[in-house]
Amino acid sequence: MVETGKTTVREEVLTVKNLVKYFPIRGGVFKTIVGWVQAVDDISFHVYRGETFGLVGESGCGKTTVAMTLMRLYNPTSGSAYFGGKDILNIHGNELRNLKKDIQMIFQDPYSSLNPRMRVKNIIAEGIKTHRLATSKQDLLDKVAEMMEKVGLSVDHMYRFPHEFSGGQRQRIGIARALAVEPQLILCDEPVSALDVSIQAQVVNLLKDLQNHFGLTYVFVAHDLAVIKHISDRIGVMYLGKMVEMTDKRNLFNHPMHPYTRALISAIPIPNPELKKNRTILVGDVPSPINPPSGCRFHTRCPIAQAICKEQEPLFEEKSMGHFVACHYAK
Amino acid sequence: MLAFIIRRLLILPIILFGVTLIIFMMIWMLGPERLIGTYVKSPEALKSEKSVERLIQKYGLDRPAPEMYFKWLGNVLKGDFGYSNVGRQGVLQSILELIPYTFELALYALIPVVFVGIWLGVIAGAHQDKLLDHGIRIFAIVGWSLPDYVFGLLVLLIFYSYLKWFPPGFLSDASMKVLRDGPWKHYTHFVTIDAILNWRFDILWDAILHLVSPLLTLSYLWWAYILRITRSSMLEVMRKDYVRTARAKGLSEKVVINKHVKRNALIPVATVSGGMIMQLFAGTVIVETIFARPGLGRFTATSAVTLDYFSVIGAALFFSLILIVTNLLVDISYALIDPRIRLS
Repeated sequence: MVETGKTTVREEVLTVKNLVKYFPIRGGVFKTIVGWVQAVDDISFHVYRGETFGLVGESGCGKTTVAMTLMRLYNPTSGSAYFGGKDILNIHGNELRNLKKDIQMIFQDPYSSLNPRMRVKNIIAEGIKTHRLATSKQDLLDKVAEMMEKVGLSVDHMYRFPHEFSGGQRQRIGIARALAVEPQLILCDEPVSALDVSIQAQVVNLLKDLQNHFGLTYVFVAHDLAVIKHISDRIGVMYLGKMVEMTDKRNLFNHPMHPYTRALISAIPIPNPELKKNRTILVGDVPSPINPPSGCRFHTRCPIAQAICKEQEPLFEEKSMGHFVACHYAK
Repeated sequence: MLAFIIRRLLILPIILFGVTLIIFMMIWMLGPERLIGTYVKSPEALKSEKSVERLIQKYGLDRPAPEMYFKWLGNVLKGDFGYSNVGRQGVLQSILELIPYTFELALYALIPVVFVGIWLGVIAGAHQDKLLDHGIRIFAIVGWSLPDYVFGLLVLLIFYSYLKWFPPGFLSDASMKVLRDGPWKHYTHFVTIDAILNWRFDILWDAILHLVSPLLTLSYLWWAYILRITRSSMLEVMRKDYVRTARAKGLSEKVVINKHVKRNALIPVATVSGGMIMQLFAGTVIVETIFARPGLGRFTATSAVTLDYFSVIGAALFFSLILIVTNLLVDISYALIDPRIRLS
């Protein structure tokens, strides 16, 4: 990050443009498509090199789908994402496999995301071998040992199976596994939500240390605002498959513009019972992504919704410097 | 592990004792008039009512059941399983003589079952809902729905009556003559292996021709069975998070399937394969009868029909022994396949 006066010149490492991911719903005798789940609908954002981009929203809002699609574990319905000059949503075969050397992912559930029949050494070594990063067997072993040390695992545990570790340790294996191929960008899909709060802090701090050490860029998906606030530099807020607000952390927490963001932030508990808070309470449930509301998708629960919100979808615009909002009445 | 094996071996005689008791009771319920048939060597002996009564008394068939049972058990413990009318020699000798025939058939059936079944199951699972998957599933449903006695007759009709490719029976007369009069040395009593060791490839070819239809009949059902289990297990594992992790590592689809999905998917397949081995032996009863092959299966069937009760008990005991031993082997191999079981 190079700051030159008021404007900031930063390299965009990942640029996502109009990403759309619909999942078909099949039914009937012949399993024909009867509808679509609009999991991610027209999302654009960019991530700068060396930063942590937080992606936050309620469960089912599509934030994990964004990460999975960028990792190409799902194929996008449409849209493009530029990484290193290439549109990573439209590459195939070897090119796609090579991409996975540069972009890695840390998964949510450390219990199920590690193959129960493989030893830790093989779990970590597999990526290194696939991408031919080790020169010899000894080099491979050294690399695995180095990774295990970096994430705070004892090298003696190299030949153990995943079930012999605790949740926090397993997530460290998952992190070592992702780091082993020396990626530039890591997509973290709720990496701490399956862990105890005390362990969460350890893992989040580990991720921060590793970021400084290796100069990594993170896209950090989470539903926990406290975690997001702790780790992110910039944050995107999602609601029902749409990005509603995106700006840097300080701006978002101090001057939230979108009514949904304001409601979310007002819902963060303050550990002081004396303090009375002015909470915005949202009524009702998140509408179904199968038949999302017309116009602004948030209008059914929005405290300041007007007639126009129901008819016209607000544009995702830059309302002030680096502060993008999709709301007719953003202020 | 060793303690586990020893424990299982200690239970073995108790289970066998229970098996003899149950089978003996079932046979005893037939009543002395039917059982005496075992001892009647010629029709003349049955000329008068009186001689039947005398025979029943002579062989103690009118004695109380416990007495008869323990008398028989005492003989068995001495190694005397009684005389087999079907085998025209002692029951034990008959069984020992017929074991190689049945083992040859069952073991050869096992190989295609395990390899073809797993192979097709993996392909079907990896290509879920594609044309290939549908084809394999139709193949499986047909195999699973056809009883072996119906399918065996169909095979006989098509490959013997119509196409004249694969004859029933064990060997052609010419080969049988060689086996009986030599030059022929029995090394393993498996005719296919002996034929190679005797350097008689004409007899090997002859034996293979006779093996095709019974093997097909015996194994089709189990191909279908193993295939279906493998496929559903594959589909389950494919949805696992660690498979997604493997894809995220950038592995090729082939490596993901072979290394991550297949290995985990085969654990339940190993469990059911154990039960299947026993079912294959049971299947020889019908297959050997349909294709007129010598073996334990046909021996059991003929003994049951002719009320040769010494033979029936002997065969039942022997099949139980196979069942118990295979179950033990399966439990051991299960522990070897799954590291989580081995360590705990």
